[in-house]
Amino acid sequence: MFAFMIDLVLHKNPPAEERKSKKSKYSADVDPGYTEDSLDVPDADVDIPGSASKQVSEEITGEDEFGARDLRNILSLKADHSSRPLWVAPDGHVFLESFSPVYKHAHDFLIAIAEPVSRPEHIHEYRLTAYSLYAAVSVGLQTNDIIEYMKRLSKTTIHPGIEEFIKLCTLSYGKVKLVLKHNTYYVESMFPDVLQKLLKDPVIQECRLREDVDMGDMSVAGDGLLHSQMTSKQALQVNRPSDASGSSAVPGANTTGNNETGTTTSAIPDDINDFYEKMDKEDEDEELETVSFEIQQEKLEDLQKRCIELDYPLLAEYDFKNDTLNPNVAIDLMPNTVLRPYQEKSLRKMFGNGRARSGIIVLPCGAGKTLVGVTAACTIKKRCLVLCTSGVAVEQWRSQFKMWSTADDSIICRFTSDAKDKPMEVQFIPAKMFRRVLSVVQSHTKLGLTATLVREDDKITDLNFLIGPKLYEANWLELQKANYIAKVQCAEVWCPMTPEFYHEYLNTRTMKKLLLYVNNPNKFRACQFLVRFHERRNDKIIVFSDNVFALKTYAIKMGKPYIYGPTTQTERMHVLENFQHNPKVNTIFVSKVADNSFDLPEANVLIQISSHGGSRRQEAQRLGRILRAKKGAVAEEYNAFFYSLVSQDTMEMHYATKRQRFLVDQGYSYKVITKLAGMGEEDLAFSTKEEQAQLLQKVIAANETEAEEEKLAGELARPGSQIQRKQGSMSSMSGADDTVYMEYSRSRSKGYQHPLFRRLKR
Amino acid sequence: MDPAMKQLLLHLDETNALGKKFIIQDLDETHLFLASDIIDSLQNRIDDFVDKINFPVAGN
Repeated sequence: MFAFMIDLVLHKNPPAEERKSKKSKYSADVDPGYTEDSLDVPDADVDIPGSASKQVSEEITGEDEFGARDLRNILSLKADHSSRPLWVAPDGHVFLESFSPVYKHAHDFLIAIAEPVSRPEHIHEYRLTAYSLYAAVSVGLQTNDIIEYMKRLSKTTIHPGIEEFIKLCTLSYGKVKLVLKHNTYYVESMFPDVLQKLLKDPVIQECRLREDVDMGDMSVAGDGLLHSQMTSKQALQVNRPSDASGSSAVPGANTTGNNETGTTTSAIPDDINDFYEKMDKEDEDEELETVSFEIQQEKLEDLQKRCIELDYPLLAEYDFKNDTLNPNVAIDLMPNTVLRPYQEKSLRKMFGNGRARSGIIVLPCGAGKTLVGVTAACTIKKRCLVLCTSGVAVEQWRSQFKMWSTADDSIICRFTSDAKDKPMEVQFIPAKMFRRVLSVVQSHTKLGLTATLVREDDKITDLNFLIGPKLYEANWLELQKANYIAKVQCAEVWCPMTPEFYHEYLNTRTMKKLLLYVNNPNKFRACQFLVRFHERRNDKIIVFSDNVFALKTYAIKMGKPYIYGPTTQTERMHVLENFQHNPKVNTIFVSKVADNSFDLPEANVLIQISSHGGSRRQEAQRLGRILRAKKGAVAEEYNAFFYSLVSQDTMEMHYATKRQRFLVDQGYSYKVITKLAGMGEEDLAFSTKEEQAQLLQKVIAANETEAEEEKLAGELARPGSQIQRKQGSMSSMSGADDTVYMEYSRSRSKGYQHPLFRRLKR
Repeated sequence: MDPAMKQLLLHLDETNALGKKFIIQDLDETHLFLASDIIDSLQNRIDDFVDKINFPVAGN
């Protein structure tokens, strides 16, 4: 379940009049997925500030025939450029050298201000966008600091366009906050002039509550605004490991350069170091002067809308410590619950100024998103609503709440189609009704937890204004290096088509093409070989096949248990339990029901024999099945294996590469295996032409519908969902179906091709 | 030539994809005897085919 988006809505607010202007249906779009979440194609009526659509102006200064740009006459290289880690291109792309001694400084900074585009081993690419900068200011960074620090980190001077862009995007964002304090809403800002400006607007004047109040720590000054002090004290309280010497607890930092800093401190330019310390310190206690005005609750929605129109989107913050209206819930983290450094870091962003910010935290599957959610709930200590995407996830969260915190069954209540406990303090709901639920429930703080914010289309970034900005995004490779998630060897195994199957493939114009390349005897043999190889190593193997025909063919031929849609609940449990505990059952075959409907037990080998289309998200989610790091399994270079079996010279090659893009951007590399060593010596099925011919006959005789995707029954079935999924937002998000491909190939054949590749092609 | 490529050529030949037959003789599993005048157009055709099954990683 870890791959699914878990939307954690903290603290349900009882008075129904208090409305968020949020169009709640969008919040499920954090992870539109290929599952049922993408039913509604997002309408275009989201309120988005005008400046959000701004982009760095791209004045391309002459490209050479390879598409390279000469920037020498625009930017000048600094004398000590080798000790600075950044290249900032005038088009807003930023390149970071991950081997730089100041990598850690630069990385912390960049992840806050820019979107990671691709993070392979040595050079990471980021992009400055209006959204990423919005996120930056919302976690407390300020315009001048951003520009100043970027200047210091850069190897060259910064293009004035970039500076302008940063100013443009950060000037109005994050300056005004909507704060819920003492159970009343205030518009708060550290910048009196901004508030004055807003108050000149007639609509906002309407919303303002004019009343002489004395709130103790606030005083009404001559300008009619409430002045108060805000302490930016970190609100997050976590348990420290008893042997609290940071060194053992923070291997994450060590891998990236801490151990080098001792010897290479001199290589870090002082200005970078000073600034880093300054930025770091800003996290600490600080008294800030703020001004605010109170607003009429019933006009909240108008106000938020108006502020967006005025280009001053309100950031929602919840001063939960001073909330006396909503009762506290007695939940705490268990004394032995210890957060990993990156989990703590992400939460620090959320609770940075003593309040709870709404936003999104992105962590890989298996990296402990649940614990982050549980800790957030235990920090706020108010009623909390957890929205999950499946019944299994609901169970998972319930058990994790019980494991990590003092919450027990008496205060946890589940809403699923199976279990309907009485509503109590902490509630779980399957995500089917995400949008509907959010439109009914008014929450003070929303936290989105997801593994994959795939940015295929810019729509997804609109979420910044719907849930909140992205607070944190982890680097998969770094977590892997630090052994928080398994070290995975990804491999793409190329299986040549047998001549007979390929002949048939070329002469088939229909969906049955799929059956032919999935049932390719050479693929079967490769699969059988890999299964045997890993079974001998005592690995646990899960074989995924989206195509049910192939699933059955493979599983029955190999004599392995399989689970697909129609498999009954009892049989599923039986198979899964055996897989978990019975040393004789080391391999199971599952269809795509396993993506959503049940929690797969631990495995360390994953073989994919058929996957539908090019969904990057599905690929990432499946990888998540083997990412939970195994304790004590560090001896080898890799402790998990992910094989994609691909029939050579078929469309499957196309899909495979397409699917891999997300993980490649996270720094994974796929090893292409064209020949499995030792396969010749194994006694594998379909070795004779006769056997292969029989299989071919079986495939040819198969019904056309066998090639179709499995229709998922039960909780996922909704009228029209299949059709919607194929034509609607799923394809636009994941590029998973042919329609998208067709468009792509058309535009590609006529459209732009990188000059380098044009040249290389003969 | 691998067996799959041979199948592709046979297919192009059978379906008259290049406007005419070009296989003079089927020699064995991995060898065909082809007419020399279609080599250019055949190579283009194969390039197109390969392009189609390979997703451009380079972007754009």
